[in-house]
Amino acid sequence: MEFDPQTLEGYRLKLRYKACYHLGSFCPDVDDIVQETLARFVSALRDKKVHNPESIGAFLSGICNNVIHEYWRRLWREAPPDPALPEHPAVPPASEAVELRQAVAAALAQMSERDCELLRAFFLEEQDKDEICRRTGLSDSQFRVALFRAKERFRKIYRQEMKHKSPGLH
Amino acid sequence: MEYHEDPLLREELIRNYLLKRLDESATKAFESHYLICDECFEELRASELLMGGLSWSKVDRRRLEDVVVIAFSSPVQLTRQSEMTGLLRGMLEQKDTKVLIDLSRVSRIDSAGLGMLINCYSHAVRNSGMLKLLNPSMEVQRLLRITHIDSVLETYYDERQAVASFNS
Repeated sequence: MEFDPQTLEGYRLKLRYKACYHLGSFCPDVDDIVQETLARFVSALRDKKVHNPESIGAFLSGICNNVIHEYWRRLWREAPPDPALPEHPAVPPASEAVELRQAVAAALAQMSERDCELLRAFFLEEQDKDEICRRTGLSDSQFRVALFRAKERFRKIYRQEMKHKSPGLH
Repeated sequence: MEYHEDPLLREELIRNYLLKRLDESATKAFESHYLICDECFEELRASELLMGGLSWSKVDRRRLEDVVVIAFSSPVQLTRQSEMTGLLRGMLEQKDTKVLIDLSRVSRIDSAGLGMLINCYSHAVRNSGMLKLLNPSMEVQRLLRITHIDSVLETYYDERQAVASFNS
């Protein structure tokens, strides 16, 4: 089984996301973890340990979980650092992160209050469909349409904002 | 689970994943899936941005001298991942290392919220910075005392005093 560089780059992006999810985006070793995961994955491919293409996701995810657990174990084994000394140099925020945040804020500002309210109820307040329908008077199908349209509108405006801010990135 | 069968179910799953509400096996299954599914990964990232944006609007940041004061613009409970993420991001995007978190609008905090404060504190210390708390409610203050977090995180009830303490 072989993978083109684009597929591997896609895996790298997703593994980075997964590692940040478990370790926090401020973890300075995320890229090392992703690199180690990919190295083990490629090595397993070379040794023909992966036979079923459908199990690649679970296989890759399992390797990443192992690398994360090893990382945690290593951190626990190591002596705690002197809190008076900075463990890692201060990392200023990437300008992309600030731009991203501005684009998201601008996208939300352009959306209607009704859309924002619906999205807030579903995503932040964790209300279920029935609860929101009861409160807003929407039917099941109206709720689905409203939710996905609102999310789509957000995605569209946010992409436009990102294009405007960083034409090279999108 | 068939992730593409019902978009609403998938959206709920993504929301619960982002809020860390899924159990271990559901988390593993979803991660195994999105690693090979661009569509679900794209939905996940869009929902994360959306949830981040919705929660950021609840976090205000302002500067007093060289201290950044982070506060919630509406009452919150520090028990939800989304709000915590907003606060964490607010802090982590700072170049500044003197940060005061105003807890006056935090009505309730649980172990996850306390853990988040400790994470913020660790982040500040790692970056040679300082993190202090302002105006916790009686309930929050009680929990800070029981868990001895108040011995690590200095707490103030007067903003000017708190700001002055960073430079004393």
